[in-house]
Amino acid sequence: MFENPEVAPDSLPSVDTVQWQALHPAYKRLRQLQALIAVGATVIPLLLITIFAGLELLQAVLIWLPWSVSSAALLLWPTLSLPKRGYVVRDRDILFRHGVIWRSVTAIPFNRIQHVETSSTPFDRKFALATLQLFTAGGSGGDLKIDGLADQTAEQLRIFVLQKAGGSIEHA
Amino acid sequence: MNTPDSATWQRTSPYAILFFLGRMLRLIVNNAWQSIAPLFAVTVAYQGDLVSKLILGGILAATAILGGAVLSWLFFTYQIRTDSILIRSGVIKKKQLDIKFDRIQGVNTQQNPVYRVLKLVTVTFDTAGSSGSEGNLPAVTREFANSLREKIGRGDAAEMADDDAPAVPSTSLLQLDWRDMIRIALADRRALIIFAFVGPLLEQMGDRFEQFIEKAVESAAFDASKLDVGTGAIIVVMIFFSVVALLLIMSIASAFLRYHNFELLLDGRTLRSTGGLLTHHEHAMDLQKFQTLRLQQGIVQSWLGRFTMTARQAISGRKQRRGTMFMIPVVTADQADQLRKLMLSPAAGRLTQDPRSALFQPVSRYYLRSRILYVGLMPAMLWATAFTAVWGVVGLVALLWLPLVALVSWRSWQRAGYLHDDDELVCRSGLLGFRTVALLFRKVQRVTVTQSRFQRRKNLASLRLYMASGNVRVPYIAHATAQQLRDYILYRVESSQQSWH
Repeated sequence: MFENPEVAPDSLPSVDTVQWQALHPAYKRLRQLQALIAVGATVIPLLLITIFAGLELLQAVLIWLPWSVSSAALLLWPTLSLPKRGYVVRDRDILFRHGVIWRSVTAIPFNRIQHVETSSTPFDRKFALATLQLFTAGGSGGDLKIDGLADQTAEQLRIFVLQKAGGSIEHA
Repeated sequence: MNTPDSATWQRTSPYAILFFLGRMLRLIVNNAWQSIAPLFAVTVAYQGDLVSKLILGGILAATAILGGAVLSWLFFTYQIRTDSILIRSGVIKKKQLDIKFDRIQGVNTQQNPVYRVLKLVTVTFDTAGSSGSEGNLPAVTREFANSLREKIGRGDAAEMADDDAPAVPSTSLLQLDWRDMIRIALADRRALIIFAFVGPLLEQMGDRFEQFIEKAVESAAFDASKLDVGTGAIIVVMIFFSVVALLLIMSIASAFLRYHNFELLLDGRTLRSTGGLLTHHEHAMDLQKFQTLRLQQGIVQSWLGRFTMTARQAISGRKQRRGTMFMIPVVTADQADQLRKLMLSPAAGRLTQDPRSALFQPVSRYYLRSRILYVGLMPAMLWATAFTAVWGVVGLVALLWLPLVALVSWRSWQRAGYLHDDDELVCRSGLLGFRTVALLFRKVQRVTVTQSRFQRRKNLASLRLYMASGNVRVPYIAHATAQQLRDYILYRVESSQQSWH
């Protein structure tokens, strides 16, 4: 029988009372390592230029000051941004939050998911991490990308989400 | 013509060669233009009997194209199964297209003058999945097209009549007359684009004019009459107005070509539009399938008090093609509201999409403040400082950026607004014109609530709703409202038993 009971707005389950799951702690180390590599890759040519090109003091400062500021920002960024990321899997949808300055919370109902993808870069595999991507209709590229999951968690999530999405497709 | 039920490979009518011919010519115009031009140059540069060579070349090219079209037709076969249509095509590179009926969002037909005499149509399928590789069935009878449409629509529109097209008991919702054609033409953005192309030409005219004046002034010094300057000015003004008039006439002609005798019909739950002077266009869309409904008004249209209404269907990845939109080129606000009531009934459609409605709730005033602060004031200060350091006092001109941003922000803040009930949301935006976009909550794909630092301090948030046809943003509303709306939309989506497409 078709039922359509009235729903009071206050009784709706809220997104804001959930317990956010953090990303895998190894992910922060990975991101810091990547930042370190990026900083290291730029320091060598800069050093060579400073030593061999015979720069004046002002020129050297003009090169090294922006470099050190951006390097510091790059190295600090994972520590700042990663704690702000998190996900929650609920019975009927999955939530993801991210952002330091612009904070946003995205919710995708399982019955709107078209397909799911897990991927891992060589770096990820070194740390046993993986990325989960969820796709809905009409979006371009990954609609929700959760990186820095333990590879087992990503796989479990993939199976869970597919199962949920499949279940909803049947009765649609 | 065969019935749609026969499950064997079939060819379409030989008149389809015409369709392939047209397609090849279009392909050549679009792609091979660059390669033909040097070829032509070589022929011209080559000494010898040019005319006969050109004629020979022309005949050769024509035969090649005709032969290609015949081959394309020979290798074009299709098969209609119970739940899908298979199309095989390609002479050298073979291609098989398998379109499932439940993925088809609309069956459109086109009829050029030749086909009209022969009572044939070209069928185009709108699909959600395949961007670029759309299915065509050239030169089939109208009866065939209708039976196909019925077969495809059988899933959700069982009450479709099985008669031929003219006999289908459909209700006419809207008809456009010649005055509407002129309205379409005036509001056509392409008229502006053509104008942009002609602009440089006019500028050159201006140069000539200047030279003319100089000469006239010189000769005036030698006791010539000043009348010449006046005549020159009149000539230039006349040229200008004749160009404008020509553009207008072209624009009106193209409006007539596309929309002559435009009629909007409702067959059961299928919306159809027909129209066109030489080539007859017919668009059909299932009312279940559209994702967003928008009502748009440019500056010219706001003078005329008219809107353009479009219903957008799901897209896959790439940008929306014009084909997958169902467009009604001119409507009044009242007509639009009546139409949407009909289209969205019985579940929704109680809201208005008239941007002038007083029911729209404004977005927060802080929208204005943060835009002026971050887009206006900060860059203006930075640039002014930088420019003054380089050019001196002249650099202060950069400060003019601020009032410009302020004006634009104020305008878009004024026009931003939203409106919702239990089933749908209408979002209003605009800068010069107006745009209202309506969506059904149950068709939402995903929801994002975003807060900037500034918004966090003021307890505000922006809500973005992703549909299968693009996204809709409600900026700067109370955080609590955004959260409530999001939770409610999630509830609606997750408890919905209906499919979104």
